[in-house]
Amino acid sequence: MTEVANINLDDAVLVRQCWQGDSAAIERLILKYQNRIYNVILKICADPDDAAELTQDTFVKIIENIENFQGRSSFYTWAFRIAVNLTLNYCRRNVRIGFSSLDAEQVPNNSQPGRLLKELLSDDSSLDPAVVAQDNELCQILVESLKKLDDAQRAVVVLRDIEGMNYNQIANVLDIELGTVRSRLSRGRKKLRQILEAILQ
Amino acid sequence: MKEIPNLDELLNSFIDGELAPRQHTEVQRLLAHDEKIAQRLDELQQCKMFLSSMPVVEAPPQILENVKASLARRTLLGEEPSAFDEQIGARHLLGRKLFAAAAMLGLVAVLAAVVYSIVAPTIPQGPIAAERKSMPATIDLAEPAPVIVVAAQFSGRLELQTNTLPAVVGFINRAIEENVPSDEWIASDQKEIREPHSLICSSESFNLLLARLDDIWSKLDSATLFVDTEVFGRKVVVEAVTADQIAGIVNQDDSTRRIEVARDFAVLNNIAEHLPGREILTAIDNTTVGLIIPPKPVLTSNHKTTTKVPSRTGADKNIHLTITVTDSK
Repeated sequence: MTEVANINLDDAVLVRQCWQGDSAAIERLILKYQNRIYNVILKICADPDDAAELTQDTFVKIIENIENFQGRSSFYTWAFRIAVNLTLNYCRRNVRIGFSSLDAEQVPNNSQPGRLLKELLSDDSSLDPAVVAQDNELCQILVESLKKLDDAQRAVVVLRDIEGMNYNQIANVLDIELGTVRSRLSRGRKKLRQILEAILQ
Repeated sequence: MKEIPNLDELLNSFIDGELAPRQHTEVQRLLAHDEKIAQRLDELQQCKMFLSSMPVVEAPPQILENVKASLARRTLLGEEPSAFDEQIGARHLLGRKLFAAAAMLGLVAVLAAVVYSIVAPTIPQGPIAAERKSMPATIDLAEPAPVIVVAAQFSGRLELQTNTLPAVVGFINRAIEENVPSDEWIASDQKEIREPHSLICSSESFNLLLARLDDIWSKLDSATLFVDTEVFGRKVVVEAVTADQIAGIVNQDDSTRRIEVARDFAVLNNIAEHLPGREILTAIDNTTVGLIIPPKPVLTSNHKTTTKVPSRTGADKNIHLTITVTDSK
């Protein structure tokens, strides 16, 4: 709790310095958040080049509008709101993301990622998350699975399970009700499991 | 397993630590008594772990430089003005609007002042003095001590033209003799009628003279008053001046005000000269020539009609006027 408070205090100081035209403060804000924002965008849009460009656009928009930032929400949720909105708009324009076939990405059970995935989905899984993280192919399967979710569900799942936001922060970023966060997250996780099971079959 | 509405939502919230303490205890009780619910919780936890285990990818290193370059390009090309620029623009626009509004108000005020100076009636000095006199003594005490204003000297020339020169000159001479003390005027020789009459007299004498001269005004073809100003050689010329107008000009206490009144009369007379239909008015006026005009009352007693006006001190003699009469033929 103290750490979060300190992070927020740092943000407030940096934002105030940005208001005064301090370019060093702008750079510090970019360096502080670029990896987290890039990761969230990448998991939602699933394309590294597009994610890089959207991250860049996000920071340009943040800097251009930082004069209008009133501090009613934290800078953290405000910045992620810009990032997620830009990304979701981009996804809506590029509908090809939602139409890729499941069959094309089926993984053989006897392959390394197939075995890992089967282990993950088994009822008595004791797989170390570090092992999953080290397998690039498995990670790619997960990213492709996320792409099968609709945009709204994907955004909630990514913000919760990848960025680690709490429900209130997600509601703030997406400007939705807390109940909507709960239902979208529930449906998203359920669908994701179904997708992964379908990939294994 | 009992049918529980929104079980997945409840379990997901349990996993994420987003339940109130009472709900958390309730879910723990359910998990302890129902294996299927516990199994469902495991599935959801796996899914969460599954996503959480994904590695964090580092952002491309050129993002910072690209952001700087993008901002610089936008600023240079003016593609998208920054919010700060928009605020400056809004302030400029507001300032210009306020300036325009102030200018409009100023213009309206000046116009109103001009219109008022033209339309508003001149407040006569006499009644004001009378009102002040009638004020209660207590108020008089509160006011500052009255200032005695010495009337400023009037200096000018009156040029008259007539086609009945001898009669008019004779009338003027008589009028001067009757109304102005002898030491206050230098009469022209009756024979040399072109010589001017030079008056240095008091306003009281002058007003008497003017009242008398008013009787011959209808016999004049033109009457022009030249009012000297403070600038040497510059005069205000009032053409077609009447005796009343001369009185109005001369009786002003202040020389500035006197010149203003003279100018006003000059403008008015000039406008009246050029008014359409003036010929008709003149024709109408001419019809009165044949009408019977009752003679003015004449004193029939043994008293002389001319009374010698006592001489005054030099300080009272503030009217310097030269009267010239010429033949209009």
